[in-house]
Amino acid sequence: MKILYQTRKKISFLNMKSVKQHSPLSRLVTTGLVFLFFFSLNLSAQGDPANGEKLFKSVCAACHKLDAKLVGPALLGITDKRDQDWLIAWIKDSPGMIKSGDKLAIQVFEENNKLPMTANPQLSDQDIKDILEYTKGKPVEAVAAVATEADPGVERGKQIFKTNCAACHKMEGKLIGPPLLKIGDKYEDAWLKLWIKDNAALVASGDKLAKIAAEYSPIAMTPFRQLTDQDLDDLLKYMAVGDVAPVAASASAADQEIFNKPGIGVLPTLAITIGALLLLSLIIAAVTNRKAVEDDEESGVSVLKTLIFNPFLRFLFIIFSILLGAWFLFGWLMQIDVNEGYQPIQPIVFSHAVHAGDNKIDCQYCHSSAKHSKTSGIPTANVCMNCHKSISEYKGELFGNYTKEDLDKEIQKLYDAVGWDKVNVKYIEGYEQKPIEWVRIHNLADFAYYNHAQHVTVAGVACQTCHGPVETMHDMKQFSPLTMGWCIDCHRATEVDLTKNGYYKNIHDQLSKKYGVEKVTAAQMGGLECAKCHY
Amino acid sequence: MKNILKITIALAFLFTLSSCWLDKTKPNYQYMPDMYKSVGYDTYSVNPNFGDGRTSQPPVEGTISRGKVPYDYPNTQEGYDAALLNLKNPLEVNEANLENGKAMYTIYCISCHGASGAGDGELVKRDKFLGVPNYKDRPITEGSIYHVIMHGRNLMGSHSGQLTAKERWQVTMYVQQLRNELLK
Repeated sequence: MKILYQTRKKISFLNMKSVKQHSPLSRLVTTGLVFLFFFSLNLSAQGDPANGEKLFKSVCAACHKLDAKLVGPALLGITDKRDQDWLIAWIKDSPGMIKSGDKLAIQVFEENNKLPMTANPQLSDQDIKDILEYTKGKPVEAVAAVATEADPGVERGKQIFKTNCAACHKMEGKLIGPPLLKIGDKYEDAWLKLWIKDNAALVASGDKLAKIAAEYSPIAMTPFRQLTDQDLDDLLKYMAVGDVAPVAASASAADQEIFNKPGIGVLPTLAITIGALLLLSLIIAAVTNRKAVEDDEESGVSVLKTLIFNPFLRFLFIIFSILLGAWFLFGWLMQIDVNEGYQPIQPIVFSHAVHAGDNKIDCQYCHSSAKHSKTSGIPTANVCMNCHKSISEYKGELFGNYTKEDLDKEIQKLYDAVGWDKVNVKYIEGYEQKPIEWVRIHNLADFAYYNHAQHVTVAGVACQTCHGPVETMHDMKQFSPLTMGWCIDCHRATEVDLTKNGYYKNIHDQLSKKYGVEKVTAAQMGGLECAKCHY
Repeated sequence: MKNILKITIALAFLFTLSSCWLDKTKPNYQYMPDMYKSVGYDTYSVNPNFGDGRTSQPPVEGTISRGKVPYDYPNTQEGYDAALLNLKNPLEVNEANLENGKAMYTIYCISCHGASGAGDGELVKRDKFLGVPNYKDRPITEGSIYHVIMHGRNLMGSHSGQLTAKERWQVTMYVQQLRNELLK
């Protein structure tokens, strides 16, 4: 085994040498070939890294990463440090080894905070060999993966664009300067590089194209001499491709449709009313006008004149205006302190769509006090840390206008609040923790009492009934009006499940008899009594 | 006559304008807020009477709040070993306990441990959390399950704040049931 390992080292060493003199393409090919070679070698002689990766992810990854410390030490190249047979024995039964007095085992145990590693007797020797193969094979695979990946330059270019160009340029649409998407189709890359670096010099040198470009705007473009050729390459790559269209938003629209309330909107109703009034006045005017003509009182009276001077129509119009005014007044009074659609800016960009939607975490996982208490609690930061101890960066689909870096910073805000050191994966000792000051959205007036436990646990109402499709909201907003009429509507319509509660069976039977119904609504059980909510 | 007309139209126009609540990031206005806003401190409101400015305070050290059950096994390896051997479930194994255990499991554990307890929850499938063990691969007892819910283990955090003592035992009972099924 050892000889085999050494030969591999030699091969890779030789390979490294030759790589230096080759172009990136041939490097890619050679790494790929070498990887394939190792792969086949591994299959025959040792472990299968693909199976190893699977096993590593399901067995080891809870405590170990390849390239960094987690609960246990980093495992990349662990086979260089320790003998394979020892490792197999250790992985199978580390507590047993420590007890048996193996010196190395005790040393490892003490080096790692005296946390014993879980024994894995279910793994076979071959399984462990596969895993160990994976801990070696990773760097080769990583190189291959990076080389074949889309193009990291585009992402870098985007950053450069944002920091340098975005003040005056947009990708699409003119700002101070022209739009830059696919600018490479219009001009040559070499010329663009010169232009970006120092456009004034280019104009001064008498370049024709530069003169035309300079006439685009009276404001000269800032020269960017600090950008390196690599920067410019990346920038041009980004300009050629542009932003990959965000996919996140599309799903929510259809869901929102379902939650929209039925009935004709206010504006159509108003239009119909005004239209009816106009029609009515026209008819009246026409009728009176004809009468006037028939009576031969004043022959040259037009319909329009009757419309304006008819006393009845004037009266009608005033009545109508007063009613309309009253209607507006009423509408205005009714929306005081109704916060439907309230969407404050929160201290951390916390997306319910990512947590409850994509990752399907139950609402009550975080809002755990909803089942026993009046308030559906804001989770304490340690609940966040249950997952974010290991999830320190955002890897999901991007949403809003945030980049991955922006969202990583949002997770960092949580770490700043609780004092978590994400590099060493532990809490900073003596750190003064700060509360995260979330902005409250759903805020019932103090004169109304509402109890979450009664609705969530007793009635079994889904959170979405009142809070709307939260699992599609990146920014949380108030979905329901939370008015009294809204409460009562639901109490009148909701039927109570009487089958599960034997304790109140007598009362329930009497109630159904009294109302002559099979099922009792919340309202019939006293859900409309004033003092239930106002006391 | 014409004046009245003009005034009504102007008023109606004003009302339409003022009824627009444009900036949705700020709350809508209130009329006489005295009755809207609580005189007492709300659960999460800022409170100048405490040093850290919060209304919700942790229990005073050395006290046990009503309904809470103290737990004596420390959050160490020794505590885990002791709980594994000695700690027993005080609840009777019955339908009702298992049913609520399942309900709680479905909320608090399923994301990682999966519906069957095989360590294949949604977060594992989406590569957010890796290495969640299958219950059958671990020599766990009711004592150790309860201990881990209470204090967490390795990267799993404590879930004692989200579950009451009774619920923790119900979840423990349900996890044992799942494990027995997996071992079959």
